Amino acid sequence: MRVSTAQFYRQSALQMSSKSSDVNEQMAYLSSGKRVLTAKDDAVQFGTLAGYKESLVNIEKYQRNITQAVSHNSLQEIVFADAENILNNIRDVMLQANNGAMSDEDLQTLAKQTRNSFEQLLDLANSQNANGAYIFSGYQTEQQPFSQQSDGSVNYSGDTGVRELQVAKNIKIATNQTGDAAFMTVTNAIGDFSANYTTNTSGVAVESANVTNRNTYNTSAMPHDYTFTFGPGAADLNVLDSGGANVFATATYVAGQTISFDGIDVTLSGNPLPGDSFTISEQEEISVFATINDAIAWMEQSSVSTNQEQHQVDYNTVLTQLNSAMSHITSRRVDSGIRLQVLDSQENRHLDAELSLTSGKANIEDLDFAKAIAEFEQSKIALQASQQTFSKVQGLSLFNYI
Amino acid sequence: MTVSLYQSGVSGLLAAQQQLATTGHNIANVNTEGYNRQRAEQNASVGQVSGSNYIGAGTYIQDITRIYDQFSYKEQLINQSNLGSADSLHARLTQLDQVMSTSGNAVATSLEQFYQALNGVADNPNDSGLRSIVLTQAQTLSNDFNELNNNFEQMAKSVNGEIEQVASKISEISVELAKINETILHSQGSNQAGQPNDLLDKRDQLISELSKYTRVNTIVDPNGVMTVMVGQGTTLVAGITPLTIEVKAGDPDALQTELRLVGPNSSVAIAGDKLGGSLAASFEFRDEHLSKTRSEMDRLAMAISATLNDSQASGLDLNAKQGANIFTDINTTAMQQGRVSAPSSNGGSLVSQVNITDVSLLPTDQFEVRLTGGNFIMTNLTNQTTTNLGAPGGAGTVHATPFGFEFIEVNAGPISADDSFIITPTKNSAALMDVTLTDGSAIAASTAVEVTPSTNNVSDGKIDITSVSDPEAARTYTTVTNSGLTVDVYESAANTFTYRVYNSATPPPAAPITTGTYASGGSATVDLPPLPLVAAFQIQISGDLVGSGTNARETFTIGDAFGVGNGNNAVAMAKTQEQGVTDGNKETFSQSLGTTTAKVGSKASNAELVADTAQALYTQAYNRNQATSGVNLDEEAANLLRFQQAYQAASQIISTANTIFDTILAAIR
Repeated sequence: MRVSTAQFYRQSALQMSSKSSDVNEQMAYLSSGKRVLTAKDDAVQFGTLAGYKESLVNIEKYQRNITQAVSHNSLQEIVFADAENILNNIRDVMLQANNGAMSDEDLQTLAKQTRNSFEQLLDLANSQNANGAYIFSGYQTEQQPFSQQSDGSVNYSGDTGVRELQVAKNIKIATNQTGDAAFMTVTNAIGDFSANYTTNTSGVAVESANVTNRNTYNTSAMPHDYTFTFGPGAADLNVLDSGGANVFATATYVAGQTISFDGIDVTLSGNPLPGDSFTISEQEEISVFATINDAIAWMEQSSVSTNQEQHQVDYNTVLTQLNSAMSHITSRRVDSGIRLQVLDSQENRHLDAELSLTSGKANIEDLDFAKAIAEFEQSKIALQASQQTFSKVQGLSLFNYI
Repeated sequence: MTVSLYQSGVSGLLAAQQQLATTGHNIANVNTEGYNRQRAEQNASVGQVSGSNYIGAGTYIQDITRIYDQFSYKEQLINQSNLGSADSLHARLTQLDQVMSTSGNAVATSLEQFYQALNGVADNPNDSGLRSIVLTQAQTLSNDFNELNNNFEQMAKSVNGEIEQVASKISEISVELAKINETILHSQGSNQAGQPNDLLDKRDQLISELSKYTRVNTIVDPNGVMTVMVGQGTTLVAGITPLTIEVKAGDPDALQTELRLVGPNSSVAIAGDKLGGSLAASFEFRDEHLSKTRSEMDRLAMAISATLNDSQASGLDLNAKQGANIFTDINTTAMQQGRVSAPSSNGGSLVSQVNITDVSLLPTDQFEVRLTGGNFIMTNLTNQTTTNLGAPGGAGTVHATPFGFEFIEVNAGPISADDSFIITPTKNSAALMDVTLTDGSAIAASTAVEVTPSTNNVSDGKIDITSVSDPEAARTYTTVTNSGLTVDVYESAANTFTYRVYNSATPPPAAPITTGTYASGGSATVDLPPLPLVAAFQIQISGDLVGSGTNARETFTIGDAFGVGNGNNAVAMAKTQEQGVTDGNKETFSQSLGTTTAKVGSKASNAELVADTAQALYTQAYNRNQATSGVNLDEEAANLLRFQQAYQAASQIISTANTIFDTILAAIR
């Protein structure tokens, strides 16, 4: 083909400029270490790349949340561990106190010791975290949750709010347990009722009192207070509801039998004597503080108490309730522990996902240096070659020989 | 005899001279753009009859022609137009790709950081430092959107500038071409046999230049006058009359400039995008790619504003007030009015506006609403589907559409038949995005109410708060109007569940607030407070809440949840990062951004391929044309030698003739 001079120069210039633009492009990839600098570099994979990046950002967020959730839950877990110890101490003291050999002074000392434990527990329940927020007050984190009243009882002034953090796309985990759930709502060891003994000469005690049929129970007289009276016959038992109606009457009470009325099942321990009488009233939950207060009261009252039977019944009630409180705190601690475990496994899952996402992202985005350098060298040589040929060929002209 | 030898010699000398001059002309124009090499066509003169023989009488230059192949030239022209269009589109799209990959990436980053800050508040809702970080990040996010929008605007402006420049360039070329036509016409008029080669070259050169800007077609009449047509056959130069191209502000959008072909006493609109060449590429880029990308980014800004404002509104801030808008409200009057533009050709005076009702349904297309046959017919300008919006109904009439927005008549009109309105539902969202919240404590991190199930519940099932439209009212309703709300549910008949909602302080037999039933496997949605009052929140009862009898139902209480430590609404807000919002709740914000960026990237890489191909095709056509018409210096050097020798030889003939003449003279002396 005939090649015009202008064509030769234009062609050479075009080629050199395209080669040098290649080299330039390769340099940009090499210096950034990325093969996708703008969406144009790999439009097909760019959507996937954006998806990887988004997932990584989300994982980072979840991990931050996990860190926070772990620190909140472990703080509560530690508090529960301490509370367990304190309750253990109180139970030991209680066991120690139930000893006829104890003098009044000894009992007062034990009572004082228990009072100290009580204050320790109260202090624990009012724990604050690093930000000064009360950890047991639900949403009311600026409000001290527990305060002791003049009568020694403890009020809860937080709420039932449970904060949750997102630790995976569809998993939210609670970061706190409310003080209400932690210290106030301990299951009543007896069941749904607590007993108040009026006359107790035999040491009769309520072993359990549960609502078994709420449908019936809910229609019975309000309030749900029942008076149990034994006698005058040796095996007579009458139960009156708060309206004075007789809801259960038998003349053949056998020790240990189940007394059923108004959807409630009651069993008693001991052999009641005629004249014994007590009332039960609805109480599903007893706070830890109330139980300890009962324990203190029991110790302090020891010396003045004349009714040893009743005193022993009270002791048993307090001790079983203390056990119930302890297992409650343990279950709370386990609850925190399980959350920590869930968080731990969730974090591992995130780490696995992060690893695979990062490598997926790197596959798309990161430069294969070996390949890139080879390509760069190739483009460089091509540029050099076109420059050399140009300088050689452009000198060739017939005019040189005229 | 001798005389004829003289004649032959002189004719050879003259011919060689002209040949040398032509060669010199070729050499001199070796670098002239658009120059076609010329050749002197040399012929032998017809000989004289001498006796029975023809004796040669030398030579003459018949014509100096340019070596010109109109087919390869036209091929080059077509490829030049295609190259102009492909190159320009490639350059623009590459720029857009870079903008999206830098400014767009900035949006992605600030969006991440905003959510990170929001997530921090979810964790520590009473930390005022974290709260103010959220606002700072929100500001950064909105600034990034503004910045991106500025970039887009700048690009639109520069495209408009280029269109104007090109239009004026085309007009200049048109005038120039007409002048050359005139000169050629005059030169043809006289008795000249030869072509005005250099004028023709000049004209072809101008056509070449024109073909970069638009597609060009030419017809040359027998007089050598050229008619030039651009685009799809619009005459630009008719003989010696040039027409010019003028840029006019668009209607209704002044920035959508339009082209008009202006003659001595006419002015016609021409479709810029159909012209071919770089001009069409400019129009295509501005009206298709840039505007699409822009409206996608606008929609994203709108979706972010609307989603966060909505979730902010369903919670309570640190002062127990309903969360105020974080970002500018998407439905301010100014925004609503900005979305509609009416062409000046409208006969009536109806003013209308567009209210956004559901961002997830919102397309990024433009719509035209036209009063046709007494009804507003809305046409999607991208896919030409139509929707009947019903007849005009006077001021305040709202015409709902299935696309997440409403067309509202603002005044009473009047409106004439065929009046139209252009709707750009996403318009200005990125430009006007701003943070309206100034106080960190106004971030509504807390939820207003919450449901607590009774510990005596025995069956699986739950009550969820599905939406809160007025958290303050919701809170007042549960705590002040009522002393807590109780919802109880039980299986009243096989597979039928009956619920009651009542004030916890006045349980049945007092009349409950509302009651209802739902079937097993289903659920019940209850607005509270119920009609006729304005609902403040909505609950959903679901699951088989069997209960233990008429008198022992499953109970749930709905109570106050406000607290400085309540960050549950912030958790919900932070979760919007992972929720699909745009495109029918399918794409998350960052996916939406990624899709837009990828679309631009794919267009740019496509454009690069097209540009590469166009370049290759153009180079081929150019080479073919050059192979015929281009000057080759080696060839010219050889010619130079050849004609120099011819010149010398011709001189020798004269000298020989002279010698012969001298010999004869000496013989008779």
